Amino acid sequence: MERVSLFTVNFLTLFFLGISVASGQTGKLENRSIGYVMTDLFWSVYQTPSAEECPRGFNDGPREQFEQLFPAHELLSVEETQLKQEIETWHPTTEPDGFEFLEVEGRLSWGLNLDERVDDNDFNHPDGTPGIDNEVYRAVGCIIGFRGPDGVEFIFQNKAILDRRYNRMMIELSGVDDLQNDEEVTVTWYRGMDRLLTDATGQKAMAGGTQRIDYRWGQSLIRESKGKIIDSVLITEPIADLVIPWMNLSVPSIHIFKDARLHLNLSEENANGILAGFADVDTWYYQLIRNDSTHHLSNGQISGISLYKALRRLADAYPDQETGANTAISTSLDIKMTQVFISHDTVGAIASSP
Amino acid sequence: MPSGFQVVVNELEGPVFATDTGQTLYKWPLEGLRNGYSGEAPGIPACYEEVLTVTAGLMSPYPAGIKLPELDKRKSCVDLWPPVYADEEAEAIGKWTIVERRDGSKQWAYDEQPLYTSIRDMQPGDVLGGTTRSSRGDSPAYRVPISPPPMLPPGFAIKPTAIGRMLTTDLNESVYSFAADTAKSAACTEECLVNWKPVSAPGLAREQGEWTLLERSPGERQWVFRGKPLYTYVLDTDSWSQEGSDIPGWDNVFTQPAPELPASFTAQLTIAGNVLADKNGRTIYRYFCGEDSQDQFNCDHPDETQVYRLAMCGAGDADKCLSYWPYVMAGEEEQSPNRTWQIKNIDPMTGRYVSADDNDAFRVWTYRDRPVYLFGGDKVIGDVNGGGTGEWRGKRNGLRAFWLRDDFMGGIL
Repeated sequence: MERVSLFTVNFLTLFFLGISVASGQTGKLENRSIGYVMTDLFWSVYQTPSAEECPRGFNDGPREQFEQLFPAHELLSVEETQLKQEIETWHPTTEPDGFEFLEVEGRLSWGLNLDERVDDNDFNHPDGTPGIDNEVYRAVGCIIGFRGPDGVEFIFQNKAILDRRYNRMMIELSGVDDLQNDEEVTVTWYRGMDRLLTDATGQKAMAGGTQRIDYRWGQSLIRESKGKIIDSVLITEPIADLVIPWMNLSVPSIHIFKDARLHLNLSEENANGILAGFADVDTWYYQLIRNDSTHHLSNGQISGISLYKALRRLADAYPDQETGANTAISTSLDIKMTQVFISHDTVGAIASSP
Repeated sequence: MPSGFQVVVNELEGPVFATDTGQTLYKWPLEGLRNGYSGEAPGIPACYEEVLTVTAGLMSPYPAGIKLPELDKRKSCVDLWPPVYADEEAEAIGKWTIVERRDGSKQWAYDEQPLYTSIRDMQPGDVLGGTTRSSRGDSPAYRVPISPPPMLPPGFAIKPTAIGRMLTTDLNESVYSFAADTAKSAACTEECLVNWKPVSAPGLAREQGEWTLLERSPGERQWVFRGKPLYTYVLDTDSWSQEGSDIPGWDNVFTQPAPELPASFTAQLTIAGNVLADKNGRTIYRYFCGEDSQDQFNCDHPDETQVYRLAMCGAGDADKCLSYWPYVMAGEEEQSPNRTWQIKNIDPMTGRYVSADDNDAFRVWTYRDRPVYLFGGDKVIGDVNGGGTGEWRGKRNGLRAFWLRDDFMGGIL
């Protein structure tokens, strides 16, 4: 933390916005609306205790691949080794790299049936639902860095959602008559501007905080869709292109999800479940490698070079009109949200031109 | 200060120490890198005549011992960073001390850090070898210009940024001034003070130079800088914030603004703050490069090896570089506004500076004598899709956006 007065600032922010955390108003539907702010987000990876879904083990990362490619690196130049690998990373191709890529081989996956079809290569949900589309899981499920609880991406990408205001996405449900069952509600995505209200550890978000809407930097992130609530589960209609800002290590970057939809278990304090859709492959890949250098990827045995080829091979939607190659890949993310009071105050929109 | 040295003011860096001929003085502080250290421990010179030939393996995952590029042209550390030698009769004064090199020669040091000049600095007042702007983690062990301590009262600090030398408290809080205030009277009273906190001066504080005092009420004194009382903004959410300047009448305070931008450049709104852009609104990027050698040479200048840049911008292909990362071209009528922003002629195939009469030369904009770039992957105004491209999030061989406002990245300016 760079400043010692952040607690004071947050307290005063809440005070002057007229919100009392201690007032017991958490989770209350106000004007038929309720807000939730995202606190956790990560790719849904179905894991068994003995990794049965990865019967041939886990993929090698950049460090292991380098040793195999250049056992006598002292005889070679930077151009022939390090830069060759970095070129492959930053100018990726679909050509084979000589390493076998280990995909998930299990049949079970978290996620949704995005295309409303049941195909041979679809997963089954652990609850038995067939037709689950989650090819990102097939690509990353046998890479250590994407597996919980201690994979490098699992830890740090998720932590960034909690820590970084840049990533502060939230939804507002409006037109809500009943949080258990409602045939039609409106779901609006915004980015918030404020730090999360947390407990004393700073690691657990608390319901009842306040977020101002980022109307300036976050204007282009606002999306709206319809949804319904069935037995406390919010099910939204697809959004054509949901943009999720996701900065991990101070590189402003995004993910783009086509046909994005939510399945969330709602309560007055939380909204937890799944965000699913088709991720733009190039955006997915460059979000990863722009934030995490080859060093960081090495810590999770993530070869960007190999992973890109897998993502391209497994992409299953939105074919390019010229090449026919799919540009998007089905995915599911585990998402947790905490109730928040959303302030529509437009202070943040002042001086909207730079 | 010993004889033979002076203070010169650079339009970007502010006051820096220099030789009597105007060559800026640099130190090379020891930096902890991923797999070890580079730079100089206090009092111990580490920059010598040997030409290093292999990588140091200081930044994982790549190991030590790989042959460095273009060995036939490679320079030694002292070729690029000439030591500032001291005469036999020279004597230490205050922070200016003298250290002994391996060959017994004497070298000036400041705060015990051995001093050097840079071959990048061509004319008096240039500070092209390094910068005082913070580079933060995973950057190379940079050489840094040395500066006299700023004339600030206790409790204040200066943050060098892309938009100027920002005045802050020593807790990194931005300080602001209010247009309606004067040195003798504060218009921010009562309700205004809910969000704006006067920067208090202690009882022993005395006026000096541009720093004066305003007595708001008996016993309550506020610091005044250049005729404006100073405040912090209680709703700022981060260090070095510009949020308070969104409120009409309020401005961040700078001890020195950044040099004027080229007239054709624009500022554009992105989802992460304001970014510098060309006349068409396309985001402008800077290239950063530092080698994984023990001497941590820069590789971001056209006079240095282009192997790294060509690899990153076009997989080794200069034509691809021009497509993926085109130079920011200067218009025929445009002129350089200052020494920081210059128009230079560059050979697009080699990446080297050439003379103006070279028919194939591109006339491009440079910042601190390094070309700036656009990114082919930016499709609409406000895209910053190229930021962080390259090794170590663009810090060691890659490109980073030229930010003008940082509301999300914690001091990246």
